[in-house]
Amino acid sequence: MRSLLHRMNPSVKFVLITVCMFTMAFFFDPVTPLLFWAGVLLMQILFSQTDWKKWLFFMIPFFIMAFGYFWTTLVFAKETVGPIIWSIRSVHVTELQLHHALSLSFRVLAFSSLSLLFALTTNPVTFILSLMQQLKLSPKIAYGILVGFQFLPVIKDEFIQIQQAQRLRGIVQKKNTLQRLLDTRLVLIPLLAGAVRKAERSAFAMEARGFTGERRGGFFHEILVDKVDAFLGVLFLFVLVLSCTNSFWLG
Amino acid sequence: MLKSWKLKEIVLMSLLAVVFGIVYLLFLHVGNIWAGFIGPIAYEWIFGIWFIVSIISMYIIRKPGAAVISETIAAAIEVLLGNAVGPRLILSGVIQGLGAEAVFAATRYKRFDIWILILAGVGSSVFSFAYGYLLGGFTVFSTGYVALMLGIRILSGALLAGVGGKAVADGLLATGSLRGYAISRPKKGDARA
Amino acid sequence: MHDVISFEKVSFRYPDEENWTLNDFSFAVQKGSRVVVTGPSGCGKTTLLYLCNRLYPDNCDGILTGNIELFGKDSRTFIAGEINHRIATVFQDPDAQFCMQTVEEELAFTLENLQVKREEMENRIKEVLALTNLTDFRYSIIQQLSGGQKQQIATACALIMEPEILLLDEPIAHLDPYTAKRYIEWLDQLQQNRQMTIVAIEHRLDLWGDFFDRIIPLSESDEPSILPKRMTSIKPEISIQATKIETKTFLKPASFSLQRGEITILAGPNGSGKSTLLKALCHLIPRNGLIEPTFLGYVPQSPEFLFLTKTVQDEVAYGGGYGVDNMLQRLKLMDIAASHPFSISHGQKRRVAIAAMLCDGREVILMDEPTSGQDAAALSELYQLIDERAHDGTTFLIVTHDMEFAYCLADSIILMEDGSLTGKFPALAVWENEKLLLEHHLLPPKGLMQCEKSFA
Repeated sequence: MRSLLHRMNPSVKFVLITVCMFTMAFFFDPVTPLLFWAGVLLMQILFSQTDWKKWLFFMIPFFIMAFGYFWTTLVFAKETVGPIIWSIRSVHVTELQLHHALSLSFRVLAFSSLSLLFALTTNPVTFILSLMQQLKLSPKIAYGILVGFQFLPVIKDEFIQIQQAQRLRGIVQKKNTLQRLLDTRLVLIPLLAGAVRKAERSAFAMEARGFTGERRGGFFHEILVDKVDAFLGVLFLFVLVLSCTNSFWLG
Repeated sequence: MLKSWKLKEIVLMSLLAVVFGIVYLLFLHVGNIWAGFIGPIAYEWIFGIWFIVSIISMYIIRKPGAAVISETIAAAIEVLLGNAVGPRLILSGVIQGLGAEAVFAATRYKRFDIWILILAGVGSSVFSFAYGYLLGGFTVFSTGYVALMLGIRILSGALLAGVGGKAVADGLLATGSLRGYAISRPKKGDARA
Repeated sequence: MHDVISFEKVSFRYPDEENWTLNDFSFAVQKGSRVVVTGPSGCGKTTLLYLCNRLYPDNCDGILTGNIELFGKDSRTFIAGEINHRIATVFQDPDAQFCMQTVEEELAFTLENLQVKREEMENRIKEVLALTNLTDFRYSIIQQLSGGQKQQIATACALIMEPEILLLDEPIAHLDPYTAKRYIEWLDQLQQNRQMTIVAIEHRLDLWGDFFDRIIPLSESDEPSILPKRMTSIKPEISIQATKIETKTFLKPASFSLQRGEITILAGPNGSGKSTLLKALCHLIPRNGLIEPTFLGYVPQSPEFLFLTKTVQDEVAYGGGYGVDNMLQRLKLMDIAASHPFSISHGQKRRVAIAAMLCDGREVILMDEPTSGQDAAALSELYQLIDERAHDGTTFLIVTHDMEFAYCLADSIILMEDGSLTGKFPALAVWENEKLLLEHHLLPPKGLMQCEKSFA
């Protein structure tokens, strides 16, 4: 049971999550996203082996962001008519405003939680293979992405090496974000020049092994769609419908 | 559409995405999360950096689709790197890429001068804002606030992605490593950059 | 015996260049033979190879005249990818020839390209891993393997296609001699087990022994002259004193001193901590210990990592030192002073890096693997550069695996193993101690030592 979300087909998961997000975008009451968030969390608790410490670490920025949305919506709301329920200095908060503010904040949390559910239960390589096998992504693009991905540690290492070499020439890391952004340009040029070289070399190596970008006959690592996906798919939609129809059964 | 693409061009876009993916990781590090307190507007000024890959790719490769494909690949790479925003990014990548692509398509892929690159940055800003407007629920904000957000994002897209993208690609061109790509052999009809 | 590859009056040039890279070139390869094409960098070896596996002319829109026949058929009549099933290639860069993470995925990727049936894949993978003695690496992550292991994996990926011809694109260029030697022995065994044609391009043949049965020189340039043994330029005063340099996790306390004008080689097995020591000395990574002076010059394996400006002149002047023109003159950089530092040759890049370091007033230069992947001409240029600077009073500490190069140049050798210094030895004492050399995965500079004896 605890491994179901990890076993789920990544493409199916991806499509379901996208559908859920777009549906949620049309609700502006606080209860719908809150219920949905709770549903997502419940599913993650039941059907995944999430490292909750890690989860919390990733969620912290989103909690802060949710707070940012909350006060922004209160201060910069469009509709300001209606009974005022709360006043701080010159800011008067109506009930509708509070609803909107809570709704957007819960939406941020629901979306982030949903995204984290995906990120923490999906193997990146399997995801790309599944996009190719189920959603007919072109092999040229799919393997193009996978090449880039396997280069990640190499390029990260080069980034550090270049920074070290440039430090020797007197480049010191600035505190200011804008200055750091400008200084990154110095690291970028050698890094990109190396990346261009690597791109050509690996593309040639792939072609020399007979890769043409044509659709492939068979896959060694087949990514399947099975009962688990049907079960979780129904469950996802159930949670979605249940939270969207809360006004009927909650009254 | 993909038939006319050389594999090395696709892999190049992917590697550009990895390089910038690492740059993003460096910028969205823990210190910056406090910006979240300021609300949705906090990230607007830096938003343009997300579009830079599509502009650099199009500027280098100059083929129809370079902006959309590269931005989609970039988003996918970002997801693979474990970005917590997750699958939502892939769609936003497609939409941002379309914004830039629309501008290049309007010139029939004939002009790649600084103004077109800036406009492409603006295109990405506008398209991505529309997407954010829907998913982020910006309808509840007052018109002035929304206009301010859009304004900052357009400025960021024009400067960071348009001007910045050109600067990076030109810097790379000067190193001589882009031989064998369209940017290195200007044809007749190209605007003088 | 029939020809599997035949070139008849083949000329080739890149669309943006006027000179022909290959000019009226003809050659043929017989089935089952082992052929090597040699020549210095830039003589068209790589182009030749890419014409054999049909990466060119399509990939660079190159202009091609003449006739190329592969297996008795005009090469243009093969559809994309078709020829690559019969002619497999191993490339020179161990880092950039894979697209998947693990060895198994990479092998499967190759089989999928060939449209092999899924039921057969498992067997083919097992078979090739057994053939190449790589079964233990099946689930390894490729980018975590060493350079030599990566080249073995690349070879396995080529062999799983069961090709009739194996092309080798300087497969040992980025390996140290010790690893390269073992790779060649391994390859020799493979070829004997599995008869196939081998066509290689290579700029240095010394390590290959009698592996090839035919050598085709591509350019008429003379055999590169053997580097002379230099006269020492050691001066009595100490120029750098390192005391108990160590890092928290890996590097154990290292102490040594070098004299002014001394050339010291730092050598040891891969992963023994040579690069780490250099970085620790320059304080690019956190370290403990004392070093005098602290202002050291450092040239990484890719010198362009140091570059910050758009011209060679600005690059040398970046540190604010004076006498820039003088330095450009002395290091023969005047002609390229206005060029972009990335667009010049690898040897020139290193020259620029050293010029910049010296102009900053850094009198001790640490170099990381400057010999890796260099052909004879580049090595000779590097030799001269170091020799001249040392006579001007610069002190060098150079990491290299190339003991022949070291033999010509070094006053002393520092050996490392497992993060700790074995010691600093006078160069002569090391060449005679074969046991010490082998313990540190180094090949003795046999050829040169014999050469010297016969002169004596």
